[in-house]
Amino acid sequence: MMRIQRLQTRIIVLFVALLALVQVAAFWFVNAANSRNAQAKVAEELTVGQRVFARLLEQNAEKLKMSARVLAADFAFRESIATHDTGTIASALANHGARIGAEAMVFVDLEGQVVSDTLSPGGTTRAFEYPALLKSDKNAASASMEVLDDRAFQLVAVPVLAPLPIGWVVMGFAVDDALASDLRQLTELEVSFATDGRGGRRILASTLDLREQQSLLASMPSQSNGVARLVLKIGGVDHQALVIPLDDTAQIVAVLHRSLDDAMAAFERLRNTLFLLAALSLTMSILGSVAVARNITRPLESLATAAARIEQGDYSAPVNLKRADEIGVLASSLNHMRGSIADREKRILKLAYEDPLTDLANRSRFSNELELAITQAALGDLRLTILMMDLDRFKYVNDTLGHSVGDHVLREVSARLQRTVTRAECIARLGGDEFAILVRDANDDFTDTARQIIAALEAPILYEGQPLDVGTSIGIAHYPEHGRDAQTLVRNADIAMYAAKRNKTGFATYEQHYDTSQQEHLSLLSELRRAVEHNELRLYYQPKVSLHSSHVSAVEALIRWEHPTRGLVPPAQFIPFAEHTGYIKLLTRWVIREAVRQCGEWLRSGLALQVSVNISARDLMNRELPELVAELLAQHDVTPGLLCLEITESGFMEDPAHAQKVLDRLDELGVKLSIDDYGTGYSSLSYIMKLPVQELKIDRSFISRMATDEEISTIVRSTIDLGHNLGLQVVAEGVEDLAAWDMLRTLGCDDAQGYFMSKPLEPKALAKWIRDFSGRPPTRIAAEAAASVKVLKN
Amino acid sequence: MIALRPIVGLVLLASASGAVAADLTLDIRDAAGRPVADAVVYAQPVGSAPLPRADTRATIDQVNKEFVPRVSIVQAGTQVFFPNSDNIRHSIYSFSPAKTFTTKLYSGREAAPVLFDKTGLVVLGCNIHDTMVAWVFIVDTPWFARTGADGAATLKSLPNGEYTLSAAAPSANLKPRETRVIVDGSGLVRFTIALDAGA
Repeated sequence: MMRIQRLQTRIIVLFVALLALVQVAAFWFVNAANSRNAQAKVAEELTVGQRVFARLLEQNAEKLKMSARVLAADFAFRESIATHDTGTIASALANHGARIGAEAMVFVDLEGQVVSDTLSPGGTTRAFEYPALLKSDKNAASASMEVLDDRAFQLVAVPVLAPLPIGWVVMGFAVDDALASDLRQLTELEVSFATDGRGGRRILASTLDLREQQSLLASMPSQSNGVARLVLKIGGVDHQALVIPLDDTAQIVAVLHRSLDDAMAAFERLRNTLFLLAALSLTMSILGSVAVARNITRPLESLATAAARIEQGDYSAPVNLKRADEIGVLASSLNHMRGSIADREKRILKLAYEDPLTDLANRSRFSNELELAITQAALGDLRLTILMMDLDRFKYVNDTLGHSVGDHVLREVSARLQRTVTRAECIARLGGDEFAILVRDANDDFTDTARQIIAALEAPILYEGQPLDVGTSIGIAHYPEHGRDAQTLVRNADIAMYAAKRNKTGFATYEQHYDTSQQEHLSLLSELRRAVEHNELRLYYQPKVSLHSSHVSAVEALIRWEHPTRGLVPPAQFIPFAEHTGYIKLLTRWVIREAVRQCGEWLRSGLALQVSVNISARDLMNRELPELVAELLAQHDVTPGLLCLEITESGFMEDPAHAQKVLDRLDELGVKLSIDDYGTGYSSLSYIMKLPVQELKIDRSFISRMATDEEISTIVRSTIDLGHNLGLQVVAEGVEDLAAWDMLRTLGCDDAQGYFMSKPLEPKALAKWIRDFSGRPPTRIAAEAAASVKVLKN
Repeated sequence: MIALRPIVGLVLLASASGAVAADLTLDIRDAAGRPVADAVVYAQPVGSAPLPRADTRATIDQVNKEFVPRVSIVQAGTQVFFPNSDNIRHSIYSFSPAKTFTTKLYSGREAAPVLFDKTGLVVLGCNIHDTMVAWVFIVDTPWFARTGADGAATLKSLPNGEYTLSAAAPSANLKPRETRVIVDGSGLVRFTIALDAGA
């Protein structure tokens, strides 16, 4: 079903439909009334006509009687009749008949015999056919309607007095079309005379033409007694008719009728006028309703337009509708609404696009700005640069000194950024300690800018007089060289930033090979997943040898990936990536599980080895880690003291508070904890003191340079002393020659780990190695090791 | 229709002989026994030679648009005068075969007398006034009379002998009823004229 959607159309349709309904009803009523009136009028006209007709016939008869009487009284006429001479009588009858217009003149004697008849001159003597007409009273004159020789006559008989009646003169006046016509003039009805004579019914006289007469004959009822009222169809038109018998035997009837159409004609005119009026008023009402509808819908349309503008976020143009009515009120409400929406949107935009802490743009705003800038740059063939940066050690500041200090640092950093990078299109804080800077249309490489930023942040930030040291790493990416869309550009700047952080260069401009390693990482992700599923990962164990006793009591589990096509994949190629993607969690889980299992296996074979496992910063965020560890230990029936978890400084410096909780929990379990790669980070010993660790592993970079660098050897020495002073066991990594071995023994270091003793080995190989070499002097070990290296090399 | 019925006849005969004459009184009644006025009666001798024509006169006056008398009986050969006593004019006519005539419009005594020389009945009318009608019975005998309101009429000085008595009335069948009577004195002949109820 079609539905009218437009209000204007609805109003018009409603108005017009209502009016049309009323008009049609009125028209119908008037028409019906007219029709009834016309019929009633015709009926009345017929009734009146009938009376008039009867009266006219009577008068006509009277007139004829009078005329006849006058004629019959004419002396000469009487005289000629009295002669009894047939010829004279016939001529007198003809002559006098002509005088008064009687077509038939008959003289009938007192015996009722026709003496003379103008219609049949010289005919045989016969009795007069209508004796009833002959009244003996000399004053009587009688009349009747009769058919003579197929024609209707008004017969009038009067006695001829001489001075007593000597006979009757009967005069026949033709009932013809002229009479009918006269009667029509007076009655205003169509008049026909018909008879049911021999040879069927026929019309004797009529005001109708021949064709109509036929039609009248056809539609007349066959027989009627008395006056009949009926409807005739004449010439296809309904007529109301009266059939009036004119003689006793109903041989002659008069048919009076009137066309309903004629009667309707007057009403027809009225109807036409009415129709015209209806059409006129309908037109007016259409125009009127259009005007009304427009008066309503125009302002509504402008309101709708205004609302649509507001919907599109254009609050500038107020609704201009000065009206006193409801629509005016609506318009002013809309105006108020427009104002308040504009205000609110401004506030929402501020919230949505601004960082409330620093008043810098937030991530969303930065993304939008970048998108916009890229679009414009693409059109104008311009260059863009984004700098991504985060603060080093911010988490540490935040966690150790509290959020208010962190906030202060962020505010200060943002202030310094704003002061330093004056030509930035947008400086945004993306979240946490992450900042981004967008600069348009600049052709330099921004390394100077990066240096300026680093310099600006080098000056310590003072909080309540205390200096706080925050560094930064900056990644730089240019449009279009380093990405043609915002996402790529940001990612690449991020990659550059991580590169800078990794390489400790402070800043780095994006380079292609960062991306290829990134690409590798991506493919690694799926492969790594497969590796776990297909058991491609292996744990190799490198022994920690006691520098005091040359005994092996601990091993470090190191992951190896036996890639089906690439061969052994070094951990450096997938561990950082796993850390970035969060996949490290699964990896660590696998490693711990395998390590504990292996530990348990060794234990059951009589080999009590403490197994160290490296866990990442992310693992320290995982609250479930302690539960997992406890579960595994229980499962494999391994004493907690045989598991050692190695964490890097950076690992817990990212979120020390959280890390502390996890470490405390692990400590409660009885698991040993160890600080790995000690010396590479910025962690203060005072902080490490708070951690429940039992072991300190000096980074390999110190050990390898210790022999040649006096300063380094001092650091190593003091670190060993410090560790011992803190009650920690000190382990040296990367011991690759006898010199280092001896030096470390001299310095009092507890354990050593490195290729000098053994490379990481498979569990079986390790077991064999321990059986073979445990407790032997390091020189021997070294020699064996060198030999095995030689064997490997061969 | 009026019918004369000569059923009961009672003739009072005057005792006379030879040239002795007698008056014959007739009583004319209708069937219901009521006397009939303006009936005429006359007597014609049977078997005698034709009677001489009278050279007599009669008068039919016109008073108040009526002929007076309405019914007359005269002997053939009588001159009838038609004086006009009205102050309007009349024009008298007759289409009767016994005497057809017409006068011009006249007043007073301007009209010439009309000679009724043939027996029969003449109906007179006025050409101006259709309601005026008079009957004149013309008979071939000097013995005739007209009944009065009592229906009685007297034939005077009727010599003895055999007569055919006739009676007629304008309102009755115009053919006279006849009966034979022998007069030999003075006597009364009574006729009863009966009105036909269907008339």
